[in-house]
Amino acid sequence: MDTHKKIREHISTLSDGELSDADLELALAALQSSDGQQAWNTYHRIGDVLRAQGTPELSDAFASQLAERLRAEPAPGKRAARGNGAPARAEAAGEAVAAKPAIIPLS
Amino acid sequence: MTTERECDQLLVERVQAGERQAFDLLVGKYQRRLMRLVSRLVHDPAEAEDVVQETFIKAYRALRHFRGDSAFYTWLYRIGINTAKNYLVTQGRRAPTSTEADAERAEAFDDADSLRDINTPESMLASKQIAYTVNAAMEALPLELRTAIVLREIEGLSYEEISEVMACPIGTVRSRIFRAREVIADKLRPLLDLPVDKRR
Repeated sequence: MDTHKKIREHISTLSDGELSDADLELALAALQSSDGQQAWNTYHRIGDVLRAQGTPELSDAFASQLAERLRAEPAPGKRAARGNGAPARAEAAGEAVAAKPAIIPLS
Repeated sequence: MTTERECDQLLVERVQAGERQAFDLLVGKYQRRLMRLVSRLVHDPAEAEDVVQETFIKAYRALRHFRGDSAFYTWLYRIGINTAKNYLVTQGRRAPTSTEADAERAEAFDDADSLRDINTPESMLASKQIAYTVNAAMEALPLELRTAIVLREIEGLSYEEISEVMACPIGTVRSRIFRAREVIADKLRPLLDLPVDKRR
């Protein structure tokens, strides 16, 4: 990655309040240049535009359809206690449900 | 004071104890946020709504395994994103690769010309052009970049939360958000470089 691009990445991260202290001075120095200011302003403009857009409303039938489907589901209940002192893995089973479709290649 | 995360966890525990109505409260709280997220990935509102509904059903089925190691909403968003990805794949609408994205962006950008014929005040037109260009660039982004910037800019998640939702390192989150911004900024630059009255 070229230096200018790296610095713009710092500015992007700074605009999210996520830049490390180690990179802060470099990013603040870059913001004194017109390129740095333009990147900062453009990144914030993009965020403003994205947040300004509406979200489609859920249909009137959404709640009743979902409620009907949920009624047909067995109650989730509490999972069985973990035995044998097995190390807990973060949200192991739920994560598996969530992550399963991720194996599908996107490109 | 009970934090939002603690409140969600209390509701989750009530569902796990057999109180299904507590899940309705979580649905009521998150259905619109989930729709906002999913509709950025699946553009047809009716299809997005189906994905939201499927997400809640999957979450309900998996809730017995949820322990609260992560926040409920990051877990829910993750299910939602993966359900949306799955939906797009089964519908044969693969997320665009970078090469496809470039072609689509170019096409979308040409379409922006049509907006220049709308007879509105200059500043309104400029704002519309900018919004249109951002949208067109967003839609052409590879799914992983689009997801990352939506989670940050629209949902307001931290990089750490996004890394949980997208199951990737924080450095990857940072890079994806930056790359998304660079692609969009590249398309915006011709508009932003010109004074408003020269943009027609």
